[in-house]
Amino acid sequence: MTNITLHMHLDELCLSADISQEAIIEVVEYGIVKPLEGDTLSEWVFDLESTHWIKKAIKLNQQLQIDWVAIAMVIELMKQKQQLEKQNKQLEARLNRLL
Amino acid sequence: MEFKDYYEILGVKEDADLKEIKKAYRKLALKFHPDMNAEAGAEEKFKQVAEAYEVLKDDTKRAEYDEMKRYGSSAEQGFKPPPGWQPNGQGQTGDFGSSADFSDFFNSVFGGGGQEGFSHARQQQSSQFKGQDFEIEVPIFLEESVSGLTKNLAFHVPVFDGKQTKQIKKSLKVKIPAGIADGERIRVKGQGAPGQATASGNNNLNGDLFLHIRLVPHPIFDVQGINLLLTLPLTPWEAALGTKVEVPTLNGKINLNIPAQSQSGKKLRIKGKGLKSKSAQGDLLATIKIEIPPSNTNESKRLWEQLAEVEHFNPRQDWSN
Repeated sequence: MTNITLHMHLDELCLSADISQEAIIEVVEYGIVKPLEGDTLSEWVFDLESTHWIKKAIKLNQQLQIDWVAIAMVIELMKQKQQLEKQNKQLEARLNRLL
Repeated sequence: MEFKDYYEILGVKEDADLKEIKKAYRKLALKFHPDMNAEAGAEEKFKQVAEAYEVLKDDTKRAEYDEMKRYGSSAEQGFKPPPGWQPNGQGQTGDFGSSADFSDFFNSVFGGGGQEGFSHARQQQSSQFKGQDFEIEVPIFLEESVSGLTKNLAFHVPVFDGKQTKQIKKSLKVKIPAGIADGERIRVKGQGAPGQATASGNNNLNGDLFLHIRLVPHPIFDVQGINLLLTLPLTPWEAALGTKVEVPTLNGKINLNIPAQSQSGKKLRIKGKGLKSKSAQGDLLATIKIEIPPSNTNESKRLWEQLAEVEHFNPRQDWSN
């Protein structure tokens, strides 16, 4: 049986995804994600939803060479789109049951 | 192996300067990036564009490539690097993708080894040995998400062996915890693509496996946060007169009182019969749906007519104003 985790510490995320602490600080400072807990940098813990967005934000920054303000906006819109798609799917399923 | 014309891929001339190359890359990257373009083939196109830019933005790589292009364009059949060709790039890829993402052509000319797409100068030493992270979708049933389960997973992981990318089959037994929700992720440490052992024999840099949990639609219940939603069909007389019905929950059936004069669409809350989170217990919300019986015997028709005579209810009263 394998070990699973639902959270990642900052150091672990840097090592695992091969990303720099500075890039993660940018992602947090621009409000793209919030650490789940941790008052100081070394104590930051993220859930895996946040680590997913951190990796995506950094990848977009590198691949599309767009600045952090634009990335924060893109990620926010992506999150909203994902949420609305999920909600739409749920409402469609509800509607089909009620009709 | 097919020779890649990176200038053609980026749509620039062979004497284009870095500014032009960058401009062409940004335009194409925005057009084909998989997060911006869901069309089939866009991701493949983006990879080609990223690979072309990875080479042409770097003076050393570009010079190597230009030399290779002169050699490659004279070859009549499939491209092969010249005999004795040694890649000069030390196997490092930049910020754009792993060598598993790049073509065999790129890897044969520039070497592979950079296994992860987020290299930074500070960490390039380690990035040469890091296996790729990998994510798979794992469908589970609602009942399984409540109780937790042990899941046997079988999947393919792309592995770059220094020359080309191969798919290796992996199978794994994973314990998925109770209370997991749709869309949540689980990290299985070290079960992604294998890393390359370092000189010290330390091989703990395998990539991670991420499981993206997807709830399979349930035949009876829908999920809304920690609440469960249920459609409760009633006959017109049950809704009008009130009744007691047996209602399914995730842990057995319960009896539910339906008050008289219950309208279609009315929601009845059954406390504590929803899903459980760490801090709260959800409810089961039953929405009433009134169904007319499909059979229409003379007797039932007579009774409906009798009701119509005594009942002066007009559900379309608002329309007359």
